[in-house]
This record gives sequence, C-alpha cells and structure tokens, in this order.
Amino acid sequence: MQLTVNGHQYEVHGEVGTTLAEALREELSLTGTKIACGEGHCGACTVLVDDEPVLSCITLVHAVDGARVTTIEGLRDHPMIDAFVRSDALQCGFCTPGQIVSAVALVESEPAPTTEQIRHAMAGNLCRCGAYPKIEEAIRTWQG
Amino acid sequence: MELRRASSTTFDGLPVHGGTEVVPLLRAGLLRADTLVDIRGVVPRDISPGRIGAGATLAQLECDPGIPDVLREACRLAASPQLRNMGSLAGNLLQSTRCWYWRLNWPCRLHGGDECFAREGEHREHAIFANDYCASAHPSDVAAALLALDARLRTTAREFPLAELYRLPTEGDRRTTTLEPGEVILEVTFDECDQSVYLKAMERKRWAFPLVGVAAVRRGGETRVALAGVAPVPWLLSGELDSATPLPRNAYKVDVARALVKRARATIGT
Amino acid sequence: MARLIRTEKEVEGRYEEVWLVVEEDSLDQWPAGPREVVGRDAVRVDGRERATGQAVYTADLAKPGMLHTAVLRSPHPRARVASIDLAPALAMPGVHAAIGPGDIEQLTSDCSFQGEAVAAVCADTLAHARTALRAIVCDFDVLEPLLDPDEAVRQGSLLGAARERSRGDYERGLAEADVVVEAEFRTQVVLHNSMETHQAVVEWIADGVEVHISTQYIWGIRDAVAQGLALPPDKVRIVCHYMGGGFGSKNGPDDYTFIAAELAKRTNRPVKCALTRREENTAAGNRNATIQRLTVGARSDGTLTALGGEFVNAVGWDGWSSGTEGPMQMLYACPNVKTTTYGAKLNLPPMKAFRAPGFVEGTFGLEALLDELATKLDLDPLELRRRNHTDATPDGSEYSGKNLLECYRRAEPHWERRHEVRARSTKTVKRGVGMASQIWYGGGGPPSYAWIRVGSDGRATVVTAMQDIGTGTKTAMAQIAAEELGIPLEHVTVTLGDSDRGPYAAISAGSSTTPSMGPAVRAAAADARRQIEDIAEQRGLKGAPVHEVVDVLEDSQILGKGARGPNPTGMQVLTFGVQVAEVAVDIETGEVWVERIAAVHDVGRVINPLGASSQIEGGIIQGIGHTLSEERLHDPATGRLLTTTLDAYKLPTIADVPEIVSELIDEPDAHLTNLGSKGLGEPPIIPTAAAIANAIRDATGADVRRLPISREEMLRALHEAEARQKEKVGAPAGV
Repeated sequence: MQLTVNGHQYEVHGEVGTTLAEALREELSLTGTKIACGEGHCGACTVLVDDEPVLSCITLVHAVDGARVTTIEGLRDHPMIDAFVRSDALQCGFCTPGQIVSAVALVESEPAPTTEQIRHAMAGNLCRCGAYPKIEEAIRTWQG
Repeated sequence: MELRRASSTTFDGLPVHGGTEVVPLLRAGLLRADTLVDIRGVVPRDISPGRIGAGATLAQLECDPGIPDVLREACRLAASPQLRNMGSLAGNLLQSTRCWYWRLNWPCRLHGGDECFAREGEHREHAIFANDYCASAHPSDVAAALLALDARLRTTAREFPLAELYRLPTEGDRRTTTLEPGEVILEVTFDECDQSVYLKAMERKRWAFPLVGVAAVRRGGETRVALAGVAPVPWLLSGELDSATPLPRNAYKVDVARALVKRARATIGT
Repeated sequence: MARLIRTEKEVEGRYEEVWLVVEEDSLDQWPAGPREVVGRDAVRVDGRERATGQAVYTADLAKPGMLHTAVLRSPHPRARVASIDLAPALAMPGVHAAIGPGDIEQLTSDCSFQGEAVAAVCADTLAHARTALRAIVCDFDVLEPLLDPDEAVRQGSLLGAARERSRGDYERGLAEADVVVEAEFRTQVVLHNSMETHQAVVEWIADGVEVHISTQYIWGIRDAVAQGLALPPDKVRIVCHYMGGGFGSKNGPDDYTFIAAELAKRTNRPVKCALTRREENTAAGNRNATIQRLTVGARSDGTLTALGGEFVNAVGWDGWSSGTEGPMQMLYACPNVKTTTYGAKLNLPPMKAFRAPGFVEGTFGLEALLDELATKLDLDPLELRRRNHTDATPDGSEYSGKNLLECYRRAEPHWERRHEVRARSTKTVKRGVGMASQIWYGGGGPPSYAWIRVGSDGRATVVTAMQDIGTGTKTAMAQIAAEELGIPLEHVTVTLGDSDRGPYAAISAGSSTTPSMGPAVRAAAADARRQIEDIAEQRGLKGAPVHEVVDVLEDSQILGKGARGPNPTGMQVLTFGVQVAEVAVDIETGEVWVERIAAVHDVGRVINPLGASSQIEGGIIQGIGHTLSEERLHDPATGRLLTTTLDAYKLPTIADVPEIVSELIDEPDAHLTNLGSKGLGEPPIIPTAAAIANAIRDATGADVRRLPISREEMLRALHEAEARQKEKVGAPAGV
C-alpha cells in the first residue's frame, strides 16, 4: 500500500494488522515516533493524520491509505522544536516527539493558547519525568 | 487478517470506524476477526441540531456550539484529545467495560464463565447498581449524556430509544448491548432541552474513565438524570440513590454520586 | 603520586567500604555564586537530538539481522511448571530459537512471583515471536501465594534479619512525654513506568559481547554481564547513549539481558529483548508498599522526647528492605528513638530502588504524625520542626553541610500564605496549607573518572563513559569543563554512553551523578588547564584566551585526566529541604487537588539552575502521582496483578500539575569535593506526599493515613473528622 509521510510517498509491505507506528518505525526506519505502551494510553506515538493528532500505535496502517501523515521528522524546522529546547521542556526525551506533535497541532489552530487550552490539548501525552510545567511554558512562548 | 472498505452498510466482517476499541482489543486477544470492514465511508457523520451522524467524532461534538451542554461536556471530559479525534460517537456508545478482570481476560461472566471476580475481589471502580450478576461499570460519558437527553438511535435495522441499546447480562445471554451482528448505528437524534449539564468524578483531572458521571437534562418541569460508571449499562436514575447496592469497597461512589446529582440538579434549575 | 586508600561509599542510603586510588587534588572550590558558566541556566546540550526524534534509544536500535524476543512469564504469583513443550513454538514461521527453564539461570520452572521468566522465543519480527510464544504448551501447578506483609512477618518470611535501630531509652522518653500520638500509616505499591521500557540488544562479536541497553549504570551492567557470561569485563561492551527514564528501576541487567545474550549466542544474530508495557508493570520493579505503626512523645512545648516505629516493607520476592525508618532516625533532635524494620518476603514482584526508596514512604508517615502532634499541642507545624532542629548528627558526628534552618526561613513567606489560602474556602471546597521536611543522601562518591582533550581550535571534548538518564547531567559536565577551562560552553562537547570509550563512571542513581562525576570532570579540566597555562607561559601569552594559546598545536592535543576524590571522613553528607503545599478538598466528593507547591532544597552548589528546576518539578509531579492517583492493585484472592496498563495505572497528566515555585539554597558544601555539589534527583520527591496530607489536615481537620489519597480514603477521613467534631461538641459541660 502507499503511505504519504512528511510529504513523501512510501511503499509499505506490512500485512494487515500492522499499526501505523510499527510501519513507520520498522519499515520506514522513522524511529522518531516512539511506542511506549502500544495500547493507546500514553500518547508517545502521536502523529498527525490529515493534521489531526492521533495515536499511531492503535491505527491500522492500511486504514490511513490516502491520508497525509506527519511525524516528528517532518517537523524538524518547526519553531516548536526550539521552543521545547529553550524552555527545557524535556528530560529523558522519550515522550517528547509525541508532545511536540500534539503541541504543533494545537498552535496551528490556536496560535496563542491559554493555560486551560494547553492543558486540555496536551492531556493525552503522558510524561513520567514531569516536564509538564516547561512543556506548557514552551507552548506559551513558541513564537519566540 | 483482511481489511476491506465497506461500499454499503451491508457487509460481512467486523465493522471498524475509528478503531480505538477494535484495534486494542484485537491486539490484546479479546476480539478475534479474520475480516475487518472499514465503515467510515458509509456511516453518516454530519452534525445538525438534534441529529448527529454516528460517525461524528467526539472532537467535532466537543466544539460544536449547537450541541447541548450535557453532550458537549461529556465529550470534552471523555478520553484524551487524540482518542477524541479518532473515536466515533457510535463507537463510544458500544465500548466495553474497563473492568480489569474483563480486560485481562479472566474467565468472568462477560467472557462466558461462571463467576464475577470483582464482587469478591478488587471492585473500587465498579458498579453500585445492578451488580448482582456482573459488577462491571459502563465507561461511556457520552452514553449517559444521551440517555439523559432521551436520545433515539437509528440503525440499519430499526429505530429505538438509546436505552434499548443496552441490556444487563444474564445467565442465558452475556451481552451488554442488543446490537445484532451486521447491524450498524447510523444516527442519533434527540429533542432540544432547556438546560443540561454533565459532571464527572475521575481519578485525575483528565484522561480517565468516570468513577461517577452525572448527566442531567431539564425540559420544562421534567428532569432526566443518567449516570455513567455506576452499573454495567448507562444508568437512568429513577428515585434516589438509596436504592444503590454498593459493594464493600465502592460505597464511596454513592456519596460521590449523591453530591454530583445534587449539584447537577441545582445547575439546571431543578 | 598515586595513593591507595580505603574509604566509605554510599548509594541509595546503603554504605559500603571501597578501595580507591587517589591523586592529589589541590583544587579549591569556587566561591559561592554564579560563575561564567556554572551556576547559570544552560539548555540541554542534547536537547535538539531528543526533541527532533533523532536520538536513538535502545528501543530504536535495529541492527542488521536482528531478531526479536517474546518472553513467557509466570501468570501466577506462585506456581511450578508441571510441563513445558517448546517444540510447537520452534515450528512456527520466522522462529530461530527457543529457550526454557534451566537453559539459563534466569528461566525457571519454580515461579515465586507473577512475571518471573519461564521461557523465551526469538524470531524475525516481534509479531512472529509473540505468535510463537502463544504456541508454547506450558502447564502450571498453581500454588498458594504469601501476599500479606504482616502474615509474612509472623511466619518469619523475611529478606534479611529485622533491622533494629535505637538510641537513648525509648520507654523512658515516652514516660517523660506530656503528649503521645500513635498512628498507623499505609503506603501503596508504585510503579516506575519509565516511558522507555526495559530492554537490551545483545550481539556476540569476536570473543566478546556488545550490549546496547536502557540503563542507569553502564559499568554495573558490564560487571554483571561479564560475571553472568563468564567473560573478562574487557570483552563486554555496554552502550547507552540515550535512555528513556529509569528512576531507580534500571540499575541492573535483570533477566532480559541474559535472555537476549543466550538467544544471540544460539542464533549467531543480534537479539533484542524488550519488555512490553504490561511486562514493565509486572516484573520490572516497583516501590514496595509499607505499613508504619508510629509513636511520638513530646513535651507540651513541642520538644520530642520519644520516637518509635514498626515498619513493614512489603518487599516482594527479592530486593532489599529499604530505610523507611530513616527520616524518623535522622531528621530531628530526639534523644530516644527506637525503630524495627521488617522486609517481608512475599510472592509479589521484587521491589527495586525508586527515587529515594523508603524515605518517601517514611517521610509521609513521620511528617503526618508530627502534624497530628502539632494539632494536639496547638503548635504551629513549622515551629514544631524548628524546635526540634539539630545541628549535630544523632551519632555525634558533623554534617558536611546543613542548611535546613535556612530552608525553613525561606519557606516562611510560603507558609504565611496559609491564612489567605484558608480564607478562600467555600462551603464545599476547603483549602489549606501543609509542610514537610526532607532529608536524604546525595553526596555521591568515588570512583568516577573523566578525560579531556583540547585541540588546536581551543575546543574541548570531555570523554566519559557515564550515562545521562534524562537528568541533564551531560549538560552539567559540559558546564563544569567550560568553567574550569575558561572557554565558552558552546566549545565543549561531552561524549558518554560507551564503556569501550571512556573510564569508569558512577551509577546514575541515589542522586549521585553530579556529585560523583562533576568533580572528576573538573579535575580533568584543571589538569588540561594547567598544561595550557604552561604553554601560555612559554609563548609569552599568559592570560590569553585558550584558543589563542593552543592555535599552534596542529595535530597535537592537550590531554587531561581527573578522578573523583574521597568523601570527607567522619562527616555525614546529606541533603535537606522543605516543601509547602496548598490544596483544595471537595468535602462532598472527596476530590483533592493540589494548587501550589513551594519547594526549598539544600543540595550544595547548583551547576545548572534551569536543569535543577526541571528536576524539582519532575520529582514533585511524581510525588503528586504517588499521593493522589497511582496504585498497583492485585486481586486479593490470587495475588494476580490488575493494573498493568496505563489506563488503569494513573500517572499524572499535564492537567494535574499545580503551580510550582522552587528555590535552591545554592551554598557549596565546603567539605565536599572540589565542587561542593550534591545530587538533586531524589530530594524533590521526598516531602511532597506529607506536605499534601498535612495541607489536607489544615483544610479539613481530617487525618489521611494512607496513600494514595483516593476518594474513598478522603471521604473516610472526612467522616471520621466529622464524628470527632460531633463528639467534642456533644461532650457535657464541666467534664
């Protein structure tokens, strides 16, 4: 099947039942998207499908045929990356790609989100290190 | 396994829409299917006052000002942002219990066995009503909201009140929904209301299933109150909470429900 | 001249004696206060790699031909494998090898806890391995497990002997008291839930083995793997460039490393063995539950005359009995203290160190007990702590540095807020303020080494084989080197993560990385600096910037080396702090939420204030999860675990975070190394639960006695407080 990821077209050969996360990481070697629970509970695997944040670990790759997938690799030049680094909005970094994807989706529709909006939009991205206060700070100041 | 795309609402195989229930259950071995049928193309998803396509996502409902408060708030407080983007309205109504015994595939009554492990075991998140046979709690905030709205469903086979979608499991039939194989929910409708509210008690501020969810709707002098998280099905409250039959370690839910019901009624002017 | 000495080393509160080679370290500490680089905010040097997803964690590693592993783990807390047949698994597509009980030490047929490994299969893909695992035919004889900690103590099922510690005369101290308070506290099992699960990739290369592993202790893994595989340590290479969190759970190789090693040996391929999230929450370690039966006696002016406690650590099948009695023994001036601590051996998954093991639990019990005492004495809780402050250690020795009184002083403005906070209570939501003290280790210790090389461009590379587990220690090392060399931070690179590419580095646990590695890095940089100064002298360039002095070097390099010296003898090296929590309690629904936490910690000199504030926030947030929502549950009848997934086990989300205000005393510990820095990884998580519980008491008068403070516990405590209140009011006059 054909998969459009970060503007490129890829051929994916995984059998039906393969998740988008598995296809990205194993077939396409795009390991920026992490799998931390594999069951849709933690948000580490968040990618954009047609600009909406979804959980790639419970999305069947064959179900995104025809959709535009954006992963952290496709956001390398987004100012949100600098905002996270500047604000120290990461510690071990394993949840960070998923956090940034969700954050980017938020500011695309709400460029100056309130604290309430940030917390509501980011509640599906768990961070065990507790970088939350600085993640909020990064999103508040993402425009530099 | 095969994934087909439905071209009509008649098909063979297990229907999947957002996949937020089906995919994890398949991978956990709680569901088995050889053929999955993607029904996103054949289930309506448009939203208009009092009429919602079954394929509308919770995210769409969350920010639609034409949706009554009780339903909008139930969507807003449900799940996580990503799950709200992915999950459909009908899928949310049909989701399975979060009971850890069920989810870990213990041979309980819902799995065809002859015991409810929660009753004698760890049941702090479980039912305080109709919990004699099975103590599982229904996790859907949206179902409680629609039940309070006295919503109706239209499926490929029939039209009926939402309440009839659900049933308590019995010795002879362990199902908790009445949907027949091949029957697909197409649309949810409800009359407008004067005031409504949804209040939810959960263990963290977001992304948790209801310990107790209270949906209250007032139309004129009539009030309907429905609860999530307190019975194996969404629970329409008739009378007071004194009829609850809590288990030894979930009696606190009665206190919580009492407080939230009082507040909900006060909010909608009852 | 190199000297060999014997000295004391502490990790996670456990002391051991070690041999150490020391060289003269004549470096004076820097004077207090921010320097050019040290003591100033620095963004993580590897922040960009992590944020962009370019950083390769063990979970991301794919070696050519690598096979994937699925592990069969006992589903029962106690069972014997009656029969097992691996043949059906070996016949499945994609499968290369399967091993079972007895093939390696880590696979057993005698299972003593749920999750203990029985067999393993490796295959071309993870899906193939998991499918093949299901084909294994394995019959268990299920046996009766021992689950209850008090029952274990009664039966004598203990890990080690009961630990009795006493000073003075407890009974007499109790008799001298004007007021005695007794209470029982219970804390729950908490799961680390690092975002990257435990995993390793093992490959046999030539006559050795290469292990990529998500770990907190590269050198400890090297030793353990060498021993386990009967190899010289030099033939074992351990690599960990980036890892996704540990919090104490990743200090050892566990079973998966040896499972992968054996499968790699049999198949002649690299093999990855990664735990699933469910396995992670079953058998990768935990903070054990505790029962604490505590007593405090005091005079009416609040001075403590007696402290006593019976502590039962529900350790599980293995691990150790952590120092839950530590805060009671160490925090306050009390001449008569008596504690007994049991490590109950149960058919539950073994505990592992988790961010201040024992002290988080023990501080909850002790500080809640002291607040109950304060209420009885009608004494301000902060004042009660001050009155029992001590500048001398219980054994009569000195602290290397202790600024706890200063922490209390700086907490006062936050403590003052309690009047205003209480005033914002409504009929159904009560607000209050509580505080708790913190004491812990954090001095680190030898050995730890660093090398440094400076090239003709004046840029420096710090060569270490340490690990940065997300705490930002890599950045701190860069800052220290830059400061010592007098070059910009951007001109320093730190290498780490490979035991083949650098000298021994300490474990990243027990808050020990900065105080152990930091001084070694500074010493190495100082060594290089002296050589650069020698060259500058010869070139008539004394005082010139480094890049000017070395610009003639071409291919020549300046090489420096440094070692961590010994800790001060006869002194206790400890960290201190205090937290003040503001909470709100919905007294009808039992909901508790934290609105603000102010933290003041004394950890010696702070290298990176930005990184330090992140550590504090992270520790507090973990503390909040521990206090309000996290709990590993098991079925009471069978002992089988119920909360192994992240929907059932509730970590805090961003929506659960209060306002956090943090302050560090930032005064170098004059006796500790050339830096005066202690570790900050653990202190911030220690007093949080107690501060919250005490704030709840302030808000509602309710005594919460267990963690987590669930709706059920909160409502129970509220009803009990209400009943007490009614009793008081109902008492006949004149009695």
